[in-house]
Amino acid sequence: MKRRDFLKVGSATFAGSVFGSVGLLTWAPRSYAQTISKTFYITDGYQNLITGENVYFRGFSDSQNIVNVPGESMIVQQGDTVKITITNTLDSTHSFVIDGLVDSGPIAPNQTKTITFEATDVGSYLYYDKLNAPYNRLVGLHGGFAVMPNGLSNQMYPGSPTFVQQYFWIFNDIDPVWHSAIANGQTPTTAYEPRYFTLNGLGGRPPGAPGAHDPNIDALTDPRSALHGHIGDRTLVRILNPGLAAQSVHCHANHVEWLTENGQIRPDVWKKDCLYLDGDMGALDAIFPFEVPPDSYPPVTTGAYPMHLHTEMSQTAGGGYYMFGAMTDIYFE
Amino acid sequence: MGMRNGGGMGGGGGGMGGACFVYPDAPATPGIVSPDVTYDRGIYMNGSMTMDDGRSVRIWGFTDGFGDGGMMASGPFPSPAMRVRAGQVVHSRLDVRGMMWLHTIHHHGIEPADHADGVGHITWDVDGLYIYQWRPMHPGTYFYHCHTNTVLHAEMGMYGALIVDPPEGPGTLLSGGPTYDAEAFWVVDEIDSNWHSLSWDAGTCGADVGLNTLNPDYFIITGVDGSGTSAMNLPPISASIQVGQKLLGRYICAGYHPQRINFGGLTGTVYISDGRPLPNPVQVTELRAISGERYDIIFEPTEPGNYIISTDIIDWITGEVLGTAKTNVTVTA
Repeated sequence: MKRRDFLKVGSATFAGSVFGSVGLLTWAPRSYAQTISKTFYITDGYQNLITGENVYFRGFSDSQNIVNVPGESMIVQQGDTVKITITNTLDSTHSFVIDGLVDSGPIAPNQTKTITFEATDVGSYLYYDKLNAPYNRLVGLHGGFAVMPNGLSNQMYPGSPTFVQQYFWIFNDIDPVWHSAIANGQTPTTAYEPRYFTLNGLGGRPPGAPGAHDPNIDALTDPRSALHGHIGDRTLVRILNPGLAAQSVHCHANHVEWLTENGQIRPDVWKKDCLYLDGDMGALDAIFPFEVPPDSYPPVTTGAYPMHLHTEMSQTAGGGYYMFGAMTDIYFE
Repeated sequence: MGMRNGGGMGGGGGGMGGACFVYPDAPATPGIVSPDVTYDRGIYMNGSMTMDDGRSVRIWGFTDGFGDGGMMASGPFPSPAMRVRAGQVVHSRLDVRGMMWLHTIHHHGIEPADHADGVGHITWDVDGLYIYQWRPMHPGTYFYHCHTNTVLHAEMGMYGALIVDPPEGPGTLLSGGPTYDAEAFWVVDEIDSNWHSLSWDAGTCGADVGLNTLNPDYFIITGVDGSGTSAMNLPPISASIQVGQKLLGRYICAGYHPQRINFGGLTGTVYISDGRPLPNPVQVTELRAISGERYDIIFEPTEPGNYIISTDIIDWITGEVLGTAKTNVTVTA
């Protein structure tokens, strides 16, 4: 078993790239289609969690020497040709699938495969390994993928409510017993009992905790997760759940505008403070509007608020450690 | 009010014992003005609820008035409701003076300034007397709950209904919108009695106290065991109306597992969810909901009968029905 470092953020090559996975991404529309190329390495390794427990993960990673969980998010434009090269460094067979767009088929150990597809339909997608489902996906082989409408920078689909920046929130739940079984090439036989819950691969580290305020460790400050905005900075959040547990996505400070559910545009835009995110591949799109918190008195324009899952078991780590689960912060600047 | 910069570890003196990642404080309220409405809330930590099988389960909650705060204090479950009108300035005064524990009030779905939001890691866990100042602007059904070690404190029962009426007062759901003749309160929750012997700070320092797994053995509606007939014919959980009258059902998903509420053959119209009017009201015979969601549903029955309002509590991972909480609506000619 190779031992690799986890790399979450900070490679600092995102700005201006079509591969946006940091907050404050501004999409630049093009009047022509492009070929977008990206290389992933299927890697594995152990991550040391807050309890001290080392848990096995696999990832679609940016190099052979790291493990990215989730893989780096990609945003392309409708009509683009997407060319993905995947090198499987492991001794098990894997795949790269975006439902409705592409299926690589099996990628054997030590094989490199290049797949090419057209980004036909706008929306938010999970790319993931569909083999040995759901196990390979649960242990980390997943990431966010979005197709923007042709020539539009501020709508999720033509005619949608507008936004000025976009984020991915990818939730996962982790049962270390299952991860160990998968590491050993076995199929888990125990009842699924997740003990860790992550947002974009990280749990929260509240103030005073080891790793608090370190964006590589702390989901509260991870720039891929924490929303930052001034009043009016309407923010699209693409919410994906490779995990198995249904979740309640609860934002403080503002109701969100609920645009889609499991890939379908909602008949009306409801304003909600809790969103029902299905387990096992649930997906939602919503806009956090960065409005003056409506019930503040006197009204305020700055402050910090949480987004957390209201399915509160997911706020824990290792059976305790409240606030070390799947949550982040929202900063009105 | 910015994000606090640490200092959580150990929780500090003041009888906080071994709690970790708590932020005791009770400062003056910024921008305080004379309120239109004041609610005083104390704490009880030795309440109880008797189930249909005769067993008593420990409950924590808020008292109406400051209470004595003693170790043996008890109080109502759910905690006493707050009922205000849109546009009123409200003070919720929380008294935790001289106590051995920390708590907050989070007015769920109300979006005030962060210092009035009751989230410990953003601001403070109250260790004295703190005044939350807020001004609700949107009529609808909300609830308030403790947001300290939330996973445990909300499960222990630290919640109460929060109703925002339009300026016209009760009987009108929305200004210029629908009216109603009667109300029913369906606050559906599940209890895992194994959690109910834990201390207020259980798990905060990392001990595995099982807060990742909620295995409920009781299914309750508005503080009453809903598995049998205890919540039948028991206003304001149940309701009795005549044909031609309009009943408002205020449904709060107060548990952590997903729920599905079925109206027993009645068709209702959802006008509001999460305190926001739907752009187009929808007709429903049942609803699914996730933790923290609320629905305001008006029924105008045309046929006399005894209608069973039945809520299944559904495992967040397996989708299995774990239990059911029931009440009824009686319609006479």
